[in-house]
Amino acid sequence: MTAVNEWAFIGIFLAVAWVLPAAPLLVSWIFRPRRANAIKMQTYECGVETVGDTWVQFKVQYYIYGLIFLVFDVELVLLFPWALAYNQLDFFAFGAGLLFIFLLADALVYAWRKNALEWA
Amino acid sequence: MLQLPSLETLNMGAALPAISIAAWACILLLIDLWIPKDRKILTVYLAAGNLVFAFIANLLVFNQSGDSFMGMYVADQFSGVMNLIIIGTALLSIVLSFDYLKRVGIERGEYYVLVLFVTAGAMFMAAANDLILIFVALELLSIPLYVLSAFRAPDIRSEEAGMKYFLLGAFASAFLVFGGAMVYGATGTTNLNEIAASAGMIIASNSSTSLFLLLGAALLLVGLGFKVAAVPFHEWTPDVYEGAPTPVTAFMSVAAKLGGFGSLLRILVVGMSAVTMTAGEPAVWQNVVAILAGLTMIVGNIVALSQANIKRMLAYSSIANAGYILMAVAAAGSPGLANEATRGALVYMLAYMFTNMGAFAVVIAVERANGGADLEHFVGLGKARPMLAIMMVVFMMSLTGIPLTGGFIGKALVFATTLNAGLVWLAIIGVLTSVVSAYYYVRVIVNMFLRDAEASTEEATPGYSTGVQWVAAVALGGTVLLGVLPTLITVLTDRVSLVASITP
Amino acid sequence: MLEITPNTIAFLVFALLSVGGALGVVVSTNLIHGALFLIVSLFGGAGLFVLLAAPFMAAVQILVYIGAIAILIIFAVMLTRSMTSLSEIFNRQWWISAIVAVVMLGLLLVGAILPVWGPSGTNAMLPVSDAVGTTVDLGIALVDGNQFVLPFEVASLLLTAAMIGAIVIARDNE
Repeated sequence: MTAVNEWAFIGIFLAVAWVLPAAPLLVSWIFRPRRANAIKMQTYECGVETVGDTWVQFKVQYYIYGLIFLVFDVELVLLFPWALAYNQLDFFAFGAGLLFIFLLADALVYAWRKNALEWA
Repeated sequence: MLQLPSLETLNMGAALPAISIAAWACILLLIDLWIPKDRKILTVYLAAGNLVFAFIANLLVFNQSGDSFMGMYVADQFSGVMNLIIIGTALLSIVLSFDYLKRVGIERGEYYVLVLFVTAGAMFMAAANDLILIFVALELLSIPLYVLSAFRAPDIRSEEAGMKYFLLGAFASAFLVFGGAMVYGATGTTNLNEIAASAGMIIASNSSTSLFLLLGAALLLVGLGFKVAAVPFHEWTPDVYEGAPTPVTAFMSVAAKLGGFGSLLRILVVGMSAVTMTAGEPAVWQNVVAILAGLTMIVGNIVALSQANIKRMLAYSSIANAGYILMAVAAAGSPGLANEATRGALVYMLAYMFTNMGAFAVVIAVERANGGADLEHFVGLGKARPMLAIMMVVFMMSLTGIPLTGGFIGKALVFATTLNAGLVWLAIIGVLTSVVSAYYYVRVIVNMFLRDAEASTEEATPGYSTGVQWVAAVALGGTVLLGVLPTLITVLTDRVSLVASITP
Repeated sequence: MLEITPNTIAFLVFALLSVGGALGVVVSTNLIHGALFLIVSLFGGAGLFVLLAAPFMAAVQILVYIGAIAILIIFAVMLTRSMTSLSEIFNRQWWISAIVAVVMLGLLLVGAILPVWGPSGTNAMLPVSDAVGTTVDLGIALVDGNQFVLPFEVASLLLTAAMIGAIVIARDNE
């Protein structure tokens, strides 16, 4: 039970996180006048009106970006327990984590140099 | 609290060959970024130099058997011989690659880095003594191979090859992981020696845990069976082999098999040989592996008969060869035969490595000269390029298993150990399918010598370039030398003993 | 019979999220909506991991599956044209999937209810958090020279290779 109780805070946080944005929406839904016309139904947007469909085809470069993100995400997951146990590690274990980060940097330099990090 | 790293207890030196390749691959990746496009030959030299270094290092540590990383990595004579074959494969395929890559316009430094990663992965697989390391090493072997298959990317067949290999390979890896998880669930450990220690007890107890263990072993067999292209997990092989760039095909037909069989032998012989119904009987997996071996030999050889494309034919031939090696694996299940069978499999793999690399070198030369690798492109080769044709004859004879070639020695050892294990029916299937295989190997020879090309292709393109020439010559030398003087390798393999490392 | 504790309520909520999300994935004709439902389903799974006292798995589920893979799937959908409005849910192989799904469900039910894998409840009395290691134990095991430091580093190599692969395949224009 104790292990789960720590998670109760996250549960409460999640609940509050839902309530906070939902409350103003609810309040305005209750009190707002319901007289729609064409201009009021437009999407709120600055400048010119939007043109075309929202579902546009993305460029393939974005996908590389996503893939590189995924690789680093997995590396992060492997480093996370290492970081948690940091205070209990001996010098060798510290070096092992450092080597892991070094290899990660190796891949990063490669991606950088190959311009895979350009968002375009 | 501050402890200095205990390198001696880790015994990292024993793992030096594999570690040096992995480390150099990472460094070479960075070096290559600053090598200008027109001087990529430098990358080739740097990669090959590393392989030579690892080869020598491996010979130096050959006799210093010992565990590294506390039983995670076992540097014994088995992994020593495996490493020699794996590094040899990588070296030959790098030499085979560089002018092919230039010719088809895919000369990029990453190619060699990825080859080094595959090499390191295969070496880790052959020496891994832990299911987790086996899985991670398998992925280190596989993922670069998926990429290499698709390396000729705008080419639609190469892309198809990479895609197919990737999807099916990921599927197979899932089997392997699931199998590993079940074995862990049954035995509570991932270390193969510890699995061996508790496996016999679990099977004897006949509880539901033994179901877990058997199911896990079966799933591991599926995952590795896919990597070595054993029937019925072979469907990807012909398409991938045909579509991938030819040097990559040559490389992966050998490297993936070496890694797969390295791990398979370790899992089954070291980890599972105690899995018997009653003590003194063959291990329970023997029959399963034997049936797989029989199926693999039959399907591989029969389907190869109808192939008109030499790359496809060699793909089915590689399936068939996996069957012959599996035969040795099956024989290793009999008590007391494990070491003999392992030695046979090692010699077979070395012979297959030389022969296959040589055959693919000839295929690359023919592809370059005649624009394709169909049987038609080999017509009249005996007249146009007698040296090349004679080399091909030797390789085909070795694949068939005709005496005085390496293939014969390998087959003889494997058949002998199979007979010793009492698997007579399997040995008979092996011999019969070898006879069948002679048909399609000899057909290549017939096409080269006994048929004349209708219109001789222009002589402008030289048949083969320096690299290909070298590989073909080395492979020829290796094949013949192994056939004439098998003691050269058996002096090494005779010291291999997988089972001695089991704690009784 | 079934005691209502905060745990059971949480279990019901997460199970509902997980199954409902999965249902949303299969029935929505807009692939983007399908991907968003997948996130809901994965979140439910993360919650179940928490209840099983496997917080690290929950973190992996959130970080990797929701944070990266679901996003990647959305990217993949957006890369393709006209995948946002599928005209029909079933394709020609629907019956194969149906058979597989039913068989899997049957096997799982049998495995969960019948004592195929040994008598159930041997470890059920034990609090799960006592039986399994913590994330800190995992962190030590990953980098300890006596344990899994070699697979840990090889995994790093593997990720490097995967990254090279992604860049080589996708950016062939140089």
